[in-house]
Amino acid sequence: MDLAADIKEAFKAAVPIMLGYVAIGIPCGILSASIGLGWVQVLLLCALFYSGAGQFMIPNMWLALSSPASIIASVSFVNTRQMLYSAAFAPWCRGASKRLSFLFAATVTDESFGVNTQRFEAGGWSVRRAAFVNLFSQSSWTLSCIAGVLLGDALGIPLAIASFAMTSIFICLLVTQKICAANAVGAAGAAAGVILCKCLGMAGPAIFVGAVVGVACAIAFTAVREKVG
Amino acid sequence: MQAITWPQFLIIFGCCAVTMLACRVLPLFLLKGRQLPRRLEEALGYIPPAAFAALVANDLFTPGMFDAGLWPAAAPLLAAGGVVAVARLTKSLLWSALAGIAFFALLMLV
Repeated sequence: MDLAADIKEAFKAAVPIMLGYVAIGIPCGILSASIGLGWVQVLLLCALFYSGAGQFMIPNMWLALSSPASIIASVSFVNTRQMLYSAAFAPWCRGASKRLSFLFAATVTDESFGVNTQRFEAGGWSVRRAAFVNLFSQSSWTLSCIAGVLLGDALGIPLAIASFAMTSIFICLLVTQKICAANAVGAAGAAAGVILCKCLGMAGPAIFVGAVVGVACAIAFTAVREKVG
Repeated sequence: MQAITWPQFLIIFGCCAVTMLACRVLPLFLLKGRQLPRRLEEALGYIPPAAFAALVANDLFTPGMFDAGLWPAAAPLLAAGGVVAVARLTKSLLWSALAGIAFFALLMLV
């Protein structure tokens, strides 16, 4: 196993995520500083919690005078979607050591899940490379958030535009999925589930519930097709 | 608003970090190394398209998004359409992200 090659390939795969994290990490650091968080606290959050959505929600909810209990409940609820990613990676981690699997699983994000899924499916990818992708992404996120805390508003990045970089990454990951009827049904079901959740005022779990609805739709579709065909 | 204190921070940080770690690690370790039933294996395969569609829909749709008029809500949708074209042509995350930022910034200027 060639470590240098693994690091090089992982870095190549991680670059788009790393650049995106610079763009949204800096505003996240600025927002964190606005509620009185210092760089040490932001470093702790980035190292041990590491969640873009979560790290935006905590200062936002604090600014909206939410209680610590409701912040914890909402943030944890939003992050339940991580369970799906974790489950999806299980078959790929079959041969990997416990330690490496833990390091890899503990550092998965929406974006790195997408990039590593693409690579695993294309073949020639390993858990070690995938873990390096995660660690490169996390380093970029951590440094950017701390830069945001320290440099503050001097770096005026408009958040709406910066966050559209992430939306674009998700769009690319979606349209490069294998095109087949079951995947299309799953994607449509998921989108419909998210929109329905948000219309019912359940924005917190919308992504998780939507994704579960999508998977259920895809399974129902293939089951019906097998019966009919 | 009062600035957050260290004890308040530690409670929020500790609880969020523990639930996050559990969500990230437990499913993988519970399923890893087992022969999964065919249906479950199939379900795991549908997670990526469903999750990406959910993330995109979550970013692009908000209830009441057309309340402020058609244009503020339509701009990100149009930019998203442009990104779909770039993504299909290039299959590159980096180009998609750059194109998305460019389309979105241009449409905001209009």
